[in-house]
Amino acid sequence: MEIILFLVLLVLGYCFGLLAERRHYRSIIAREKVMNSLPAIASRYPPEDKPYDQQLVVGSVVIGSDYFKSFLAGLVNFFGGSVVSYEGLLDRARREATLRMKEQAQKAGAEMVFNVKYETTSVGNSKLASVEVLAYGTAMKPVFAPTPSAAGEG
Amino acid sequence: MSIQYENRQAPEGVNVTRHNPVLHLLKLLAAAVVFIVVLVIVLNLLGAKIARTVPFEVETALMDRVDHSFSDPGTPPGLQAYLYELSERVGENLQIPEEMEMQVHYDSENEFNAYATLGGNVVFYRGLLKSMPHENALAMVVAHELAHVIHRDPIAGLGGGMSSMLAVAALTGTAGGGAVAKVLTTTGTITQLSFSREMESAADRAALVAIQKTYGHIAGADELFKVLQIEKEREGESWTAGFSSTHPQDASRIEAIARMAKENEWPTTGPLTPLPDEFTEWLGGAGQ
Repeated sequence: MEIILFLVLLVLGYCFGLLAERRHYRSIIAREKVMNSLPAIASRYPPEDKPYDQQLVVGSVVIGSDYFKSFLAGLVNFFGGSVVSYEGLLDRARREATLRMKEQAQKAGAEMVFNVKYETTSVGNSKLASVEVLAYGTAMKPVFAPTPSAAGEG
Repeated sequence: MSIQYENRQAPEGVNVTRHNPVLHLLKLLAAAVVFIVVLVIVLNLLGAKIARTVPFEVETALMDRVDHSFSDPGTPPGLQAYLYELSERVGENLQIPEEMEMQVHYDSENEFNAYATLGGNVVFYRGLLKSMPHENALAMVVAHELAHVIHRDPIAGLGGGMSSMLAVAALTGTAGGGAVAKVLTTTGTITQLSFSREMESAADRAALVAIQKTYGHIAGADELFKVLQIEKEREGESWTAGFSSTHPQDASRIEAIARMAKENEWPTTGPLTPLPDEFTEWLGGAGQ
């Protein structure tokens, strides 16, 4: 009985995990294509060509593993090696967090996000892991200050 | 001129390795199962071999220090004497080594069981005794348990079982992932049970030789397994029982008895020796 339950969980985990991953990737790629117009840059040195208002923007996501992926990861842990079954999970989490951060920047009217950094932590217990990825950076909002000629000197 | 910043769509598959997860899982699972099976087999053989070299006196001395009485304090003296006498009678045909002293005990619990443990202690439960139709059937049980002691099965099982189970627990404990640990532990346990079943079969064979020598025929020797079969059918045994049982299947034990009798041309019929008249009385009435 227990072995049947285990196999059912494994198959369900695989099918639903695969479906969720495919659907998420489709959404990520489509949104990335749009959001590429608002670059996220790792550099700490923002452009100085014009004045910018700066604002902290944060994007965070928690993505859960499935039974199949966790079981496969556990087996890999037995022998050692790359835990490839979690790679997709982390890749999706990083990209989703970046997208959410950019969406926040876009709402704030920013042109780009600078000094982008990532933090990650595992959520939940060791049996069924979830991962949180947090992306944050400095959103650069152009300030439309009056030009010196328009302001005049006297 | 100011710097132009842009994000280009990154190519897919850089941070995610393309692989067939199902194939990956099957390969790793097969490797892990083979590894555990080999480990358990090696450690069982080794552990049992080492354990069997421990002198029997050590076993006895060890059990003397354990504060546990196998015998029921209320065991009727007549029953105790009868069990002792029967084990002596059957034991004569089992070639019991001189240093081995058997301790026969009665337990009034209603379990359908009997077992042999360290220090030559053999315990018979009321539940089993009361379903014995004649002495021949009981003698087979007695001979079977004595054979376990002679084969040093209790200590060998402990040595082999403990070492392999400890190794599996240590390995799966570090592997993490509850389900993986469970699958690998189950693999270890199932492999482990094949050793236990082999011990049972060896004890059956030795017991049957003793029964043939004691009574001149083996009639009634398979009665125990027939009774067991009925008992299990009543309880509704699951199809996985063959894998998860410490004992061989009853049908195959009955077959093995018949095969052995045929090979040695032992008579399978003969007069059955009745149990003592007071037997039911000793057990406090069969109905309870």
